[in-house]
Amino acid sequence: MSKASNRNKAFSNAALEHIDALYGFAMVLTRNRTEAEDLVQETYLRAVRAFGRLMADSNLKSWLFAIMRNAWLNQLRHDRCGPQFVEMDAEESDRSQSFDHRTTDPHIVYLRKLERDEVMAAIDSLPRLHREIILLRDIEGFSYQQIATILDCPAGTVMSRLGRAREKLRNLLTEWRKGSSDNSVRAKEA
Amino acid sequence: MNQCKEIRNQIAFYLDDELEGRERTELDAHLRTCDSCSEIFARQERFFKSVRDCGPLYSAPAELRARVEQILTTAPSPEVTPGKLRRRIQRSLQLDGSGRTRFIDARGLTALLALLLLVGWAVAEYVKSRPKPPSQFATMAVETHQRHLRGQLPLEISSDVPDQISNWFAGKVPFSVKLPNYQESSGQEKLYSLEGARLVGYNDGYAAYVAYQMQNRPISLVVTWEAVAHPSGGEEIVSKGLTFHYDSLQGLKVITWSDGGLTYALVSDLEERGQQSCIVCHQGTKDKDFIEGLKPKAPVNGLLR
Repeated sequence: MSKASNRNKAFSNAALEHIDALYGFAMVLTRNRTEAEDLVQETYLRAVRAFGRLMADSNLKSWLFAIMRNAWLNQLRHDRCGPQFVEMDAEESDRSQSFDHRTTDPHIVYLRKLERDEVMAAIDSLPRLHREIILLRDIEGFSYQQIATILDCPAGTVMSRLGRAREKLRNLLTEWRKGSSDNSVRAKEA
Repeated sequence: MNQCKEIRNQIAFYLDDELEGRERTELDAHLRTCDSCSEIFARQERFFKSVRDCGPLYSAPAELRARVEQILTTAPSPEVTPGKLRRRIQRSLQLDGSGRTRFIDARGLTALLALLLLVGWAVAEYVKSRPKPPSQFATMAVETHQRHLRGQLPLEISSDVPDQISNWFAGKVPFSVKLPNYQESSGQEKLYSLEGARLVGYNDGYAAYVAYQMQNRPISLVVTWEAVAHPSGGEEIVSKGLTFHYDSLQGLKVITWSDGGLTYALVSDLEERGQQSCIVCHQGTKDKDFIEGLKPKAPVNGLLR
């Protein structure tokens, strides 16, 4: 097998490892299953065409994320309209069920699942810029500098936007938890 | 108390693994001795963990995975030169099977020499014209701007009155800092606001750091002696007898220049060359054409005039 085809194969294997992460990012950007799938395909097509320009020491995952975001922005420009936020319904079932299985106590597993669902719902209700930055930092673990490259903005903007997004998320969760504890008190009183 | 405030501002950077060396060690040491900061740290750590434990949010559907696998295996690599093209290049280079040159006529040799001379000249021109690396002062100004945004450099004086800031620097830096005041009589809407100032270490001494905001976008001005900081590098623009060095560092625009024995750096994330940041000194003054002079000129055939 030639050196070039070895490199192609290595690239294909490595790129495919990031498909779940890319699909998650596409869902955060588009909020629509069909559009997200199209965006993932478009990203891989562009990556295959461009991977000759990928430097050996580059981070493949952040490079793919940057391609996806550019592809999405291009689509928006092409459609000449803003992002179309489609409500989630059937897509809910796509969500990974990979919560922490380290404990076997069904009650603890159930409580953890509830907490996870609550945090996920709170992330989902944030504005797109905030959902996006929380996904990049907290779910995908990119550094501030990598996020700045993906979003094509200064690292200072990443820091301030991330701070605001977390503040919103925290407030939202506090509000929800307060609301649910008030409801349970009212139920007991009744 | 002030230390606690500074530490709390850095907890998120610590948990994001963005603090290194001394800053990380200092935070660790503080947490060992301060119960209230430890409590805030633990709360924030729990919150971060609850978000991070959510991942991965989605799994790609099996059909999508199959389609992507198909793309990765069937799409041609951009690196592979088609065999037909390879053969054409070989023919045009007049190579035989052993790789030795069979024949190059005199006209071809002259053309080749001319081409080499042209390429050499173009490379020399490029080397001469390409932007030089930024000065140490410009780099320091950008880092200071970022550290301030991260909450690592809180302001030592918060005020929107230029005279108060100027007076605060008196005796703290070995030069006079006189911040220009926006001239209300100019009738223009004031586009920026002064936030405050602090000292920053530079070359075994202090430089003056002044923070501004323009439409929620931060602008930093750093000033020091010309004797310790020479503006250099980047693109040079001469305006009103001063040479301005424009650079783009880590996604930020920095303009450095010297005037009257002092060296200045303006950092912002504003558009073009960041020349709008000059407003912090020039808005409401008679220098209306000053900022215009720093604007990039319209490109002609892809080149700057």
